[in-house]
Amino acid sequence: MKDTSHIPAQISLRQWEGRYRSLREAGLREASYGGPLQRHFAAGDYRLEQLRFDNSAAALRLWNFLLSETERLFAAKRAGKKIIATMKDLGTVPILAYALPETVAFYPDGTWWIPCVMRQSTRDLAIADAMGIDETFCPVRAMLGAFETNQHFPPPDLLVCSVGATCDDFSAIAQRLESRRHAIHWWEIPSRQGAREEEDVMFVTSELRRIAEKLAEVTGYELTNERLREAIAQANKVREKLNQLRQLVFTAPKAPLPALEMLIAEMLAIHYCSDRGETLAVLAELVDEVQVRIEMGEGCLPADAVRVFWVNPVADLRVMNLLEECGGRLCGSDFMFCHALDAIPTDVLPMEALARMALADPMVGPAGERARRIVRDAKLFGAQAVIVSRIPGASHCATEGTVIREVVSREAGLSVLEIEVPPVSDGVRAGLRTRLEALMETVRRKRA
Amino acid sequence: MICAGIDGGSRALKVVLFDHAAGRGGGGRGVLASAVRDQVVDHNALAEKTYQELLAQANVARSDVKRVIATGYARNLIKAADATITEITCHAAGVRHLCPAAMTVIEIGGQDSKLLRLDTGVGNGGGVRDFAMNDRCAAGTGRFLEMVASRLDTTLNQLGKLAERSTSPAIISSTCVVFAETEIIGLLASGVAREDIVAGVQHAIATRVAAMAGGRLDEPIVFTGGVAMIPGMREALAKALGKTVAMSPQPQITGALGAAILAGR
Repeated sequence: MKDTSHIPAQISLRQWEGRYRSLREAGLREASYGGPLQRHFAAGDYRLEQLRFDNSAAALRLWNFLLSETERLFAAKRAGKKIIATMKDLGTVPILAYALPETVAFYPDGTWWIPCVMRQSTRDLAIADAMGIDETFCPVRAMLGAFETNQHFPPPDLLVCSVGATCDDFSAIAQRLESRRHAIHWWEIPSRQGAREEEDVMFVTSELRRIAEKLAEVTGYELTNERLREAIAQANKVREKLNQLRQLVFTAPKAPLPALEMLIAEMLAIHYCSDRGETLAVLAELVDEVQVRIEMGEGCLPADAVRVFWVNPVADLRVMNLLEECGGRLCGSDFMFCHALDAIPTDVLPMEALARMALADPMVGPAGERARRIVRDAKLFGAQAVIVSRIPGASHCATEGTVIREVVSREAGLSVLEIEVPPVSDGVRAGLRTRLEALMETVRRKRA
Repeated sequence: MICAGIDGGSRALKVVLFDHAAGRGGGGRGVLASAVRDQVVDHNALAEKTYQELLAQANVARSDVKRVIATGYARNLIKAADATITEITCHAAGVRHLCPAAMTVIEIGGQDSKLLRLDTGVGNGGGVRDFAMNDRCAAGTGRFLEMVASRLDTTLNQLGKLAERSTSPAIISSTCVVFAETEIIGLLASGVAREDIVAGVQHAIATRVAAMAGGRLDEPIVFTGGVAMIPGMREALAKALGKTVAMSPQPQITGALGAAILAGR
C-alpha cells in the first residue's frame, strides 16, 4: 500500500489514534506534555470528538500544548512559582510578568472556550448563572465558574485586569468576580484618541509601572529595564515566528495548515499558554512543517478553496472546520489582537514601548481604524471575502460588524458575511452552513 | 434542456420543472410545471412524490430531466438532486428571471428572512453581490405570522384583510416570538382590535427587515418568499423602507425556479 502518511490531511480524533501509533513507530520525539490526543477526550474535552485536526506531528504538539495548560499551571504552583492572572489583556501584562523569575502568567479569559471544548459538561456556566451573569453576557462568563471550582487553574497569586476602553460585559464579569473575594489589581486603558496620543502613552506607562510595583511586591523581584528589555525581545521572537507562520499559510497556493490550528496558534501570541519558551518551540515546529508542505506543493485543502479573512475568534472551535467543509480556507485573520502580532519597539524605554503597544489594541480604538487594518491585511493576503464572527453577548462595540462591512465593501470590494457563533453551535449549524456556503457561491460566481 | 429545482423550505416544499430553451429571455417563461406542498417530517419522501407528480403532469420522462438541483433548508436530504445550491443563490437567480431589472431581493420565508443585493449584469445570472440574513430571532419570519394567525383565530390569508381595516396599528415591542405572543395576549386582553394587532405585527416584521438593510438598498426592490403572498406585507415593507417594493410574480416558487435555472448552467 502506498505510504500517504506525509500528505497533509484533516483527520478525526479516532483517526489520530492510528496516526499517533504510526508517528511513534517512525520515531516521534515529543515534549513533556506529549501523548495521544485521545487522552484529553478521556479527561473531559468531549468536543474534540467532533473536530477535525491537522495530521502533522507539529499540530499534535500544538494541541497537546494547548490542552495541557491546566496541568502546567498546577505544576507551576506546586513548584512554588507565582501565578499571575492577566485578565482583559491582549498581550501586555504577560510580558511584564514573564520578565520576572519564577513567575507564570495565564489568561483566565481563555476559559471562554471551556463550555465548547468540554461540551458544557462542567458547572462553569451554571455557576455564572447563579451569580446573575447569564447567557445575555459574553461566554467569557465561564471564568466565574472556573475561579469558584479551581478545576481549570490554581488560585492565582495576583489578578490583574484592565478597565476603561474595554468590553462592558467583561468589566461587569470581573467586578462580579471581585465581589466574590477575588481581589483584583485594576489598571486603566483609555480610549485611543489620536489627538492626545502622547498624553495617553504617558498615562498608560504610569499604569504599567503600577502593575510592575504590584508584581514586585508579589514575586519579590524588581522589574528592571534590563529584565523588561529581555522580555520584550522574547515576545518579539514569538511575534516574528507567528508572523512568519501567517505569511506562509495565508499566501501559499494550497492551504498548508487548517484554519482551526491557525486560530489556536495565533492565540499563543497573547498569553503563551503559560509557557513562553515552549510557545516559541511549538510555533517553530509548525513553521518547519508548513515550509516542507509548501516546498512539496502540498496542502490540506483544494487549491480552489475560497480565500477568507476571518474577524474575531469563535466561541465554538467547530466552526473553523465548517469554513473548510463549505469550501473556504483561512487567508488572513483579526482575532482581536492584531496589535500583539506587531513587533514591540526597542528604540524607546521598554515601559513606554509596552504602553504604545497596549494603546494599539484594536479594541480600544474606533471600529473604523480596525476595519482599515482588516482591509490592508485582506489585500495583503489576497482574501476574497471577509467573515465577521459575532460573539453572543460581547459588547465592546455593538455596531462594529456594520462598520467593518461598510469599510471592507467600499475600500476592498469584498463580500462580507456576519455570523453569530454560540459556544456550542450544533443547534444553529444548518443555518451557519447555509450562510457560509452562500458566501462561497457568491465568491466563486464573481471569480468565474 | 429540461431541469428541475426542488426547494425544501422549512414550511413548504416547492418543485419547478423548467425548459431552458423556452425560458430564454426571462419574464417567467420556461416553467413547465410547478407545485407547492406543506412540508412534512420526511422531506425526501415528499420531494420524491411531488417531483413524480410534476413529471406526470408535464408529461416529461424522468430521464429527460438533465439535472436536478435542491435548495432550501432540507436541500441535503433530497436524494433526487444531483447537487445542492443555497437558497440565497437560487432566489437571486429566480428573481432575476422573473424580474430582470431587480437589484435587491427581500425574501421572507418560514424560518428566516434574507436581503440580497444583486450585481448589475443581467447576463451574469443575477449573481449575489452581498447578502444578509436575520439570524437572531423568528420575529422577522413567517413563523411569527403563523403564530399571530393562530392566536387571533384566523388564517394567514385573512391576515391582510384584517390589517386593511386597521386604523391604529398596535406597537409590538418584543424582538422574540415567544414574548411577542405574550404581548399579543396582553393587547387582546386590554381590548385592542385584532386588525390593529395584525397591522402592528406586519409593521414589526417590516422594520426588522429594514434594519437588516441598514439603509443601503438599490432599486428596483423585489419582495419574494412565502410571506410575500400575505396581503399587506408588501405595503408594510414599502412603508418601512421608504421605497417602492415590487412583488415577485410567483413568490413562493422563486427559490425552486432559481434552482432549476442554475441546474442548466
